[in-house]
Amino acid sequence: MGYFELIIACIFVNNILLAQFLGNCPFLGTSKKMETAVGMSMAVVFVTVMAGTLTWVIYTYILVNFDLVYLRTIAFIVVIASLVQFVEMFLKKSIPALYAGLGIFLPLITTNCAVMGVCVLNIDKEFTFLQALVASLFYAVGFGLALILFAGLRERTLLARVPKPLQDTSIALVTAGMISLAFFAFQGMV
Amino acid sequence: MPKTIVQEFTKGLWEELPPFRLVLGLCPVLGVTTTMENGLGMGIATTFVLFGSNFLVSLLRSIIPQKVRIACFIIIIASFVTIVELLMQAYAYPLYLKLGVFIPLIVVNCIVLGRAEAFAYKNKVSYSIADGLGIGIGFTLSLGALGAVRELLGNGSVTVWGDLSYNLSAAFPSYQPFSFMVQAPGAFICLGLMLCIINAVGD
Amino acid sequence: MNDMVKMVVVLTVLSSVAGGVLAAVNKGTASQIEAQQLTFVKGPAIKAILAGSSNNPIEDRFKIVDGDAEKSFFVGNFDGKANTIAFEGFGKGFAGDIGVMVGINMDEDKLVGAAVTVHSETPGLGAKAKDDPGLVSQFKGLSVKDSVSVTKDGGQINAISGATITSRAVCDAVDNAMKSYQKMKPQLQQEIQKFGK
Repeated sequence: MGYFELIIACIFVNNILLAQFLGNCPFLGTSKKMETAVGMSMAVVFVTVMAGTLTWVIYTYILVNFDLVYLRTIAFIVVIASLVQFVEMFLKKSIPALYAGLGIFLPLITTNCAVMGVCVLNIDKEFTFLQALVASLFYAVGFGLALILFAGLRERTLLARVPKPLQDTSIALVTAGMISLAFFAFQGMV
Repeated sequence: MPKTIVQEFTKGLWEELPPFRLVLGLCPVLGVTTTMENGLGMGIATTFVLFGSNFLVSLLRSIIPQKVRIACFIIIIASFVTIVELLMQAYAYPLYLKLGVFIPLIVVNCIVLGRAEAFAYKNKVSYSIADGLGIGIGFTLSLGALGAVRELLGNGSVTVWGDLSYNLSAAFPSYQPFSFMVQAPGAFICLGLMLCIINAVGD
Repeated sequence: MNDMVKMVVVLTVLSSVAGGVLAAVNKGTASQIEAQQLTFVKGPAIKAILAGSSNNPIEDRFKIVDGDAEKSFFVGNFDGKANTIAFEGFGKGFAGDIGVMVGINMDEDKLVGAAVTVHSETPGLGAKAKDDPGLVSQFKGLSVKDSVSVTKDGGQINAISGATITSRAVCDAVDNAMKSYQKMKPQLQQEIQKFGK
């Protein structure tokens, strides 16, 4: 598969949120306001690219070499958790402006299954290092795209009169279904 | 008023029924509920992890230092997840293939970490076990119900267990399977509408 | 300071206990997992191809290193002797590799059957290659020296309508398998002697 197809597949066809259902907690949790959605998307792109490549290296050169493949889950989550902590400390010290924007989202990312999911998918699909890098970046971009689109729609539903039982999460899920339907049209493109 | 063990158990079945009441851990809820069997399988795997992590976290709560508690929780949860992963490969391989990436992802399921942090770290072992089992069984039933609805509407039939199944298309020959329901958009809409029904009933 | 020591000790002990337990579980389940993988991933294909053999081909297997990959071969006994062999070949499909298990009668150098093992094709179109026997049944009886391709490319196999790329990939997989068979035939004949007793 060429890199162009891979990029299209990652952003649209296999969109991590709408087609693979990974990272739905932040999808619903941080989409009430456009600002938070943008902040979360940036933080996810940042961490996913780092985690995706780092776990690939660890899996390929350490776990496979020493026959420890069964420790994959535990190794990946520890890497992600410490990476998030490290990024948080680094940003706080060196780039306070960026920290002010992303800071509060970083701890949430440890339990964001999109990040862990991308790491596992990179391994399951037997990507090369460069493919894993590209896939991590564009899966995260796809996450951001879906989240920002969704936040835009959700701000609108606040103004609409929604029946009481449907309010909040319920209508949000139905809205997400509509976006997912729109993304469904990309199926079979790649 | 302190709750009894039975109350801790039953709260998971309605009051705090995940994923409807506590809107957490949605990824597997949406991802694997294409059939009832998958939903139940995922639910049972999650229940096992919840039970194990709640038990161990509660047992070790006096020796786990406050500052590194999250790291300890994660190691405990990840170990149970790996055990489930291996056992499932060994004894339920077809199910493992269908659930795929969602099995390792139990580790980042907010429900499991949430119960460890919010409940097991603060309560006695017996209560924590009751809490873990209750939430886990509630989660399993929810996944099974969502899977059953989606499978019934999407395929026109539900496989309950083995050969036992109910065929909607046979009962109502004019029914056309609505394959939208077993695909991605259907998952969101079906869950949204079920949440709406639960809200309406709950009020 | 005391706090710090406690943290390090607890984390270290916890991690090593977790590692130890997982290693034990992994060791305990390893052979069962391998058996399950063979039964469910390759099993149905092998059983379909070697239907009617007097032994259990999943148990009678051996491995040969070919280039940098290790291939598994499954032996089928017919008419009282081990003369048929099944193994996998791969071709590039619409969405990743397609694996095809082929069975070859070693006395006659003829294909006895083929079946798709792994694929990630579009449901309803390319995925038919696995579910619909129309495509793979055409391979039966071909000689290993034939080159296989779809009718569009001037060959003898009728492609699945709407899934030419997938059909082509299946042909490629069979072709690859037959080429490696021809290359490895002497080695295979040696190995197969050990079975069928």
